[in-house]
Amino acid sequence: MNDDPFLEEGWRRLAGRSLLASAVKSLAIVAGVVAGLLRFLTSRDWPIGGIAAVCAAAATLVVSAVVAYDVARLRTTRWRLTRERLELRSGVTLRRHRSIPLDRVRSVNLRADPVARVFGLTVVKVGTGEHAAEGTELVLDPLTRHEAESLRRTLLRQDERPASGEGPLAELRWSWIRYAPLSLWSFTGAALVLGVLYKALNSFGAKRLVTEAADGLWDWVTARPLVAVPLILAVNLAVGVLGAVLLFAESWGRYRLEREPGRLRLHRGLLTTRSLTLEERRLRGVEISEPLLLRLGGGARVKTIATGLGKADEHETEDAAALTPPLPRALAWSLATKIANIPATPPTPIAPRTDALGHAAPMDSPWPPAGVTGHGTGRHRATERDAGEAAEPEASAGALGMGALVPHPAAARRRRIVRALVTVAVLALAAGLASWLLPWQWSRAAVWAIPAPALPFGMWLAVESARSLGHALGRRHLVTRQGAVVRRTIALDRRGVSGWTITESYFQRRSGLLTVSAATAAGKGHYDVVDVDRGDGLELAARAVPGLLEPFLVREKK
Amino acid sequence: MNAGTPAGLRPPRNQADPRAVAWWTAQGLILLVPVAAGAVAAYWILTSRPVWLGACVALFTAGCVALAVLAPRATYRVERWEVTDQAVYTRKGWLTHTWRVAPMSRIQRVDTARGPVQRLFGLADVTVTTASSAGAIKIEALDHEVAAELAERLTALTQATPGDAT
Repeated sequence: MNDDPFLEEGWRRLAGRSLLASAVKSLAIVAGVVAGLLRFLTSRDWPIGGIAAVCAAAATLVVSAVVAYDVARLRTTRWRLTRERLELRSGVTLRRHRSIPLDRVRSVNLRADPVARVFGLTVVKVGTGEHAAEGTELVLDPLTRHEAESLRRTLLRQDERPASGEGPLAELRWSWIRYAPLSLWSFTGAALVLGVLYKALNSFGAKRLVTEAADGLWDWVTARPLVAVPLILAVNLAVGVLGAVLLFAESWGRYRLEREPGRLRLHRGLLTTRSLTLEERRLRGVEISEPLLLRLGGGARVKTIATGLGKADEHETEDAAALTPPLPRALAWSLATKIANIPATPPTPIAPRTDALGHAAPMDSPWPPAGVTGHGTGRHRATERDAGEAAEPEASAGALGMGALVPHPAAARRRRIVRALVTVAVLALAAGLASWLLPWQWSRAAVWAIPAPALPFGMWLAVESARSLGHALGRRHLVTRQGAVVRRTIALDRRGVSGWTITESYFQRRSGLLTVSAATAAGKGHYDVVDVDRGDGLELAARAVPGLLEPFLVREKK
Repeated sequence: MNAGTPAGLRPPRNQADPRAVAWWTAQGLILLVPVAAGAVAAYWILTSRPVWLGACVALFTAGCVALAVLAPRATYRVERWEVTDQAVYTRKGWLTHTWRVAPMSRIQRVDTARGPVQRLFGLADVTVTTASSAGAIKIEALDHEVAAELAERLTALTQATPGDAT
C-alpha cells in the first residue's frame, strides 16, 4: 500500500463507462413506455408507420434523457483519497461534500448487478459503522471493478497477500439448496407472483382478459372442487418452491465466507454479486436462527450481532446480518463457533475466571461443553433435558446441542401453558357468544372453527417455546436461546454487554422467575434470558460481567 | 463474594425528592380533572340523568381522583436510584418490577430536563443514555440542584473511564 495509486492523485472521477450501463438499464423504461404507447395508439387506429415513428422517438428521448442525467451526475461528482480521509463531492442541483476519516471506515461493500458486471463496474459503499440513520454511507456509483477492489484494500489497510492459509470459512455447496424451499416463500411465493402478474397485465390493458380468466377459473373450481382445490394448492406449492430455489440461487450462488486479518468477508450472488466486509472488532456475537420449517428439515443459519450494521437495502433479498444461507445444523454450529471464537481484541483480565463450582472455565469455545455449564444448583438440569435432541450425535459431538444449555424451570412451561389456555378460553368465550347471538344456523357451528384448532396449536407453542428456553455462560460468551416458531440461539460477547435490565412481573414473582436482559450496542440492542429461575438468572448476570451486578445483590448465607 | 445463591436485588439507596409526590399529584390532577369534569358535564347536560348512570359517573370521578392522589405515593415508594463509582442502578415499577444497571464505562450521554410544571416544584429529571437501543435510564424528580450535581458527577466519572462506550 506504499505505492498506492490513489494517494497523491487529487480529485478523481467515477467510471465513464457508467453511461453505457445507464443506457442499457434505461431500456427497461423504454419497454414500458413503448408498450403503453402501442396500446394507446393502436386503439386510435394509427397507421403502423406512424406508431413506429412515435415509439422510436419516445425511445430515443428516454435513453438520451437518462444518459444526459448520468453525464451531468458524472461530471459533477469527484472523489479523492488522501492519507487521512475519503472525500466525495456530488450533486447536480444540490452540491454536497462528504468526508470520512479513514480510521472510521468500518465496512466497504461492493455490489455489481448483471449490467454493471458486463461493463466491469462496481458500486462501492463505504460505511463508518455508526448507529445513525440514512446517509451515513458514502457511495461511489460506480467505479471500475479494478479500482473498486484496490480501493477496498486501501481503505481496510490490507496487503495483497491472501489473509490466512486456511482457506475460506465456508463455501457454497449446492446440496444446501434443499433447504431453500423450507421457508414461507414456498407457500406465499406463487400468490405473490400471481399478484404481480395481475397488476402488470392490468397496466398493459389486458384487464378484460384477466377478469375472464379469473371467472373461468372460479367456475371450474366451483364445478369440481375435489379436483380443482388440491390441484391449485399443488401448483401453488410447485411455483413457490421453484421461486424459493431461484431466490436461493441468486442470493447465495458463489457464496464464500472468508476471514481476513481482523475482518470477515462475505461474497455472494449469482447475477448481482455482492461483497461485504465486516470488521471483527464490531462483532459482538453470533446468532443461530432456526425457523420452524428449516428446523424440521435439520437446517439453521448464522447471523452476526454487530454494531452499526444497517438494515438491508430495499432491493436486497437478505438482511445485512445474514452470514450464511440455510445450511445443515451441525455445520451452522461449527461455523458459529469459528466466527465467534477469534479474540477480536486482546483478552481482558476478567475473562479467564474460575466459576463457582471450582473448575476452570471451558477452553476456548464460546459454547460450554455439556455438563460444565451448571452454575448455581443445576437442580433441573437432568429432569428437563430433552432426550431426543441430546441423543443427536452431531449435536453432542460438537458439544453444542440442546443439552449444553441449562433449561429453565418447570414454572416457565407452566406459565406458557396457562397463557395458552387463557387465550383459548377467551377465544372460546367469544365464539360461544357469537354462536348464541348469530341468527344463522350454519354460522353457529362455523365460529367454533377458530378456538378448536387454537387449543392444540397453543399447547404446542407453549411446550415448544418452554423447551427451547435455555442459557449458559461460556468463557467469553453469554448464550441464550428462546423461541418456538423461530428458535434463536444467541452467543453474546460478555464484553459487549453494556448494562442489565432485570424485570419481574407479578406472575413471574409468584413463580420465582425473572427475565434478565443484556443490553448491548449491537444487533437488536438487547438480548433476553426469559423466565429463568430467580437465583440462576441473577447469578448468570453477576458472573457474565464480573463486578457490575455484584454490589447490588442480596445473597443468602450458606 | 460467592456466598450462596443470590436471593434478589437490594433496593437502590436513594428515593426521589419528597416534593415529587406533590408534582406527580399536580400532574395527575391536570390530566384527570378535565376528564372527570367532562364526564360529569356530559352526564348533566346530555342525558336525562338516570340514577344508575349517575352512580357510574360518580364512581368514575372518584376513581380518577383516587388515581391522581394515590398513584404518586405508590410511585414514590417504588422508584429508587443509586449511583456508585462503577454503575448507575435504578428500580421502578409496582406490578412489574424493573431493575436497571448501566456501568460507567458504557455511558454515552447524561442529560437533565425540567418541564414547566416540574420547574414550579424545583425538580429535574436525569437521563443516562448508553449505546444500547434498549433505552435510556431515567432518574425522575430529583431536586434540581441535586440533579445538576449528579449530572456533573456522572459526566466526570464517564470521562474518567476509558473506552468508546460500545
